[in-house]
Amino acid sequence: MAYLSDLMGKPVVDIEGERIGYLKDIIVAVRGEMPHPEVVAILVERPGNTLEIPLSHIAVLVAPAISLTRHLAEIVPYEPGMYDLYLARDVLDKQIIDINGVRVVRVNDLELARVNGHFYMANVDIGNLGLLRRLGLAKLIQTVASYFGRKLSPGIISWHDVELLPGNQPIRLRVPGDKIAELHPADLAEIISDLTRAEGGKLLESLDVKTVADTLEEVEPDFQASLVESMPDEKVADVLEEMSPDAAADLLAELPKDRSQELLNLMEYKEAEDVRKLLAYPVDLAGGIMNTEFVAIGPNLTAEQTISVLREAAPHAETIFYIYVVDKDNQLLGVFSLRDLMLAKPSESVNNFMHKRVVTVNLLDSQEDVAQVVAKYNLLAVPVVDDQNYLHGIVTADDALDKIIPTAWKKRLPRLYH
Amino acid sequence: MTYWERLKPIRLRFLLLLTVVGPGIITANVDNDAGGITTYSVAGAHYGYSLLWMMPLVALALIIVQEMSARLGVVTGKGLADLIRESMGVRTTALIIIIMLIANLANTVSEFAGVAASMEIFGVSKYISVPLVAVSVWLLIVKGSYKSVERLFLVASSLYLTYVVSGVLANPPWHEVLRAAVTPSFHFDAGYVTIFVTIIGTTIAPWMQFYQQAAIADKGLMVADYAYEWLDVVVGSVFAVFVAAFIVIACSATLFTHGLRVETAKDAAVALGPLAGEYASILFALGLLNASVFSAAILPLSTAYVVCEAFGWESGINRSFKDAPVFFSIYTALIVLGAAIILLPIKSLVQAMLDSQTLNGVLLPVILIVMLRLINDKRLMGNFVNGRIFNIVAWAMVIILIVLTIILIITTIFPNFLG
Repeated sequence: MAYLSDLMGKPVVDIEGERIGYLKDIIVAVRGEMPHPEVVAILVERPGNTLEIPLSHIAVLVAPAISLTRHLAEIVPYEPGMYDLYLARDVLDKQIIDINGVRVVRVNDLELARVNGHFYMANVDIGNLGLLRRLGLAKLIQTVASYFGRKLSPGIISWHDVELLPGNQPIRLRVPGDKIAELHPADLAEIISDLTRAEGGKLLESLDVKTVADTLEEVEPDFQASLVESMPDEKVADVLEEMSPDAAADLLAELPKDRSQELLNLMEYKEAEDVRKLLAYPVDLAGGIMNTEFVAIGPNLTAEQTISVLREAAPHAETIFYIYVVDKDNQLLGVFSLRDLMLAKPSESVNNFMHKRVVTVNLLDSQEDVAQVVAKYNLLAVPVVDDQNYLHGIVTADDALDKIIPTAWKKRLPRLYH
Repeated sequence: MTYWERLKPIRLRFLLLLTVVGPGIITANVDNDAGGITTYSVAGAHYGYSLLWMMPLVALALIIVQEMSARLGVVTGKGLADLIRESMGVRTTALIIIIMLIANLANTVSEFAGVAASMEIFGVSKYISVPLVAVSVWLLIVKGSYKSVERLFLVASSLYLTYVVSGVLANPPWHEVLRAAVTPSFHFDAGYVTIFVTIIGTTIAPWMQFYQQAAIADKGLMVADYAYEWLDVVVGSVFAVFVAAFIVIACSATLFTHGLRVETAKDAAVALGPLAGEYASILFALGLLNASVFSAAILPLSTAYVVCEAFGWESGINRSFKDAPVFFSIYTALIVLGAAIILLPIKSLVQAMLDSQTLNGVLLPVILIVMLRLINDKRLMGNFVNGRIFNIVAWAMVIILIVLTIILIITTIFPNFLG
C-alpha cells in the first residue's frame, strides 16, 4: 500500500541514479470491466516541461527515489489514452460521490495497492487522518490523541464505491453514471442537494431521461428549475414527458415563460396537452396539483372487463387503487376501489358495486382544503371536478399533503444563501 | 382577472431580477460594517477631506476584485475555498483558511463592538446588548431561515442611506469636498499610512470574495447570468463606497473642522449631536447598529461554510450538531468568542476593530494573488481568463497593496522611520 500524497514530489532517477525530475502525477487507465483502475504511467516534472513515463520503464515505484530501468534518452514517452485519469489533477482534492454513504465527500488522499506486480488504485481516503497526513501532522496528532486514549479513524472507502462527478472527468469515462443510476431517486436528490447547482446540473445531465425524471420529482420545483437551466431543450422535453403531468407542470411554472412554451412545443402532443391543462390553474389550487393520469371507465362494464381495461391502463396511471366511473360526457358517476373490484363477481356490472356518493374537490379548492378532505376521509386520492361535476383529474394523498408535511428532502433545502 | 393576476408578468420579471441580483449588493452592504464605519469616521475626523481622493480608486479596486470573484463563480460554479483546495492542495488551503479564521474572528469581535457602541448611545449597557444580540443571531440562523434573514437585512440596508443624510445634515462646503475628491495627496507618517491601508482593508476585505463567490455558486448563476451579476457587483461596490465617502464627509465637516479627535464610531455619533443636530447623531447610531447586527449574523456563518467547504466536512444549518460538528463548533465559537472578547474588560475596543481592519489589509494581497492565479488558469476558466490590460491593472494593484503593507509594517515597528 502506498499513498499518492507520499509519492508526489519524490525524485525520479534514471538507471545511473541521475535525477531527471520529480513525480508530479500518476496516470491510471479506467477500463469498464475492472473495478480498480491500473497504474499505467507517471507524470514527471522537469525543468521547463513534463514527461509521461510508462510504468514498464520503472524499476521501483514505492521508494524514497523512484528509479527507472533506462537512461533519459531511451525513454519512450507514454501516450495518454482516452480513458486515462490523472490522479492528482482529476481526483485528489476533488469532490466525489460516496455511493454507499449516499453523500458527497472530498478526496484527501488516494491509496495504491500492489497485486502481482501491478499497481491499482485501491482506496479513497476521505478521513481527517488523510488531511493531517498531507499537512505533515498525522504522527503528532495521533500521538496527542493516543495520549488522551483516543484513536483517529482513517475514513477509507473503496474505489469501487465511489463515482467521480461528471465535471471532474476529462471525458466521459463510462456509461453515464452506472453506479449512480442504481441509487434510489430520493438518494440521488440528496446527493444533488450536496452539490452546487452547476455541478448538480452536470450530474443530472449525465443520467438517462427516466432517472432524471424520477430524481427531479424528489426535489422542489424552484431547485428543479435551476437544475435544468443548462440542459438542452430536447432532453428537458423528454424528461418532462417522463414525469407525471402535475410534476411537469410545477417545473414548467418555475421556468421563464418563453422557455416553458418552447419546451411544451417540443413535447409529444398528448403529454403537452395534459400539462397545459394543469398550467391553467395556480399551483396552490386543486387544479394546479392534480394529476390527469387516472383510470376512468364507463358504467356498463363488468368487473371482469374492468380488470382487463385496468391491465392496459395501469402503466400510465398515477394510481390504480381507485377506478372512476364516468358517463360519455365525462361526468363523474361513481368510484370503486381495487378492493371492491377484487371482491365483486366477475360478471357483476360496475353500476352495482360502485359508490355513488363520491367525495370530490373542486378545481378551485385550495391545497389546504384538499389535504383536509384527504385526511378526513382517509383517501389515497381524491377526484377533482368542476361545477358541472365533470371529472378533470385526481390529487393523490402525497401531493395534497406536500404542503403540510414537506418531503423529507425539502427540510434540507434552505442552505446558506437561498 | 384580478389585479394580482394581472400583475403576474411584472411580478415574475421582478422575481427573476431578484434571483440574480443579490450576492454583489449584499456583500457590498455587509462591507460597511462596524469596523468600516469606525475606520471611515476616524479617517474623516483626523484627516478631514484629504483622504477623499482615494475613494473613487478604492471603488475601482473593489469592482475589479469583486468582478473577478463573480466571474470565477459563474464560470466554475464553485466557491473560492473549493477552487483553492482543488487547484492548490491541502497546505496552501490550510494556510489561507487559518489566516482567514483569525481575521474573521477579529472582524466578528469588531461587529460586537459596534453593537455595544451603538446601543450605549441609546443608553443600553453592553452587558445587556451584546449577549442579547449574540443569542438572537445564533437562534435566528440556526432555528430560523437564512433566506428571511437575508431579505430582512436587504431591506434594512436602506438604513445605510442614513449616513448620506447625516453627511448632508452636516452641511459640508461642497466645492471643497469636490476639490479634495480629485486632488491626490499622501503623507509618510505612521498614522496616515495605517489609516490608508485600513481603509483599503476594510473596504476590500478578504471574506467578501469568499462570501460573494459562494453565494453565486449556491444560487446556481451561470455564464448566461453574467451580465446581471456584473451589474449587481458594480452597483453594490459603488453604493458601498458612496456610503463610505459620506461617512468621511460627515465626520470631516463636523469633527475635523472643530478639531475634535474621535477614537470610535460611538464618539463620532455622540460628537455629531451638538454639531449637526440630534437627528444626525441618532441616524448615525442606528446605521451603526444595523451594520453591526447584519455583519455579526453573516460573518460567522459564512466563515463556518468556507472552512467546511475547503476540508470537505459536513456543513449546513439544517443538519444536526452530530452530523456537522465542525460546522456548528466554528459557527458557535465565532459568535461566543466575538461577544465574550467585547465583554472582557479590555481597554480600547476600537483598537480591536481597527486592528482587524488592518489585518484585512495585510491579508488582501495574498488572496488577490491566489485569485489571479485561478482566474488566469485556462483549464478552469476557458475563454473567461483575464484580458491583458485587466491583468496589468490587477497586478499593479497587488503590488501597490504589498508596498503599502510593507510601509505599514515598517512604520509600526519603527514609528520614526518616516520622520
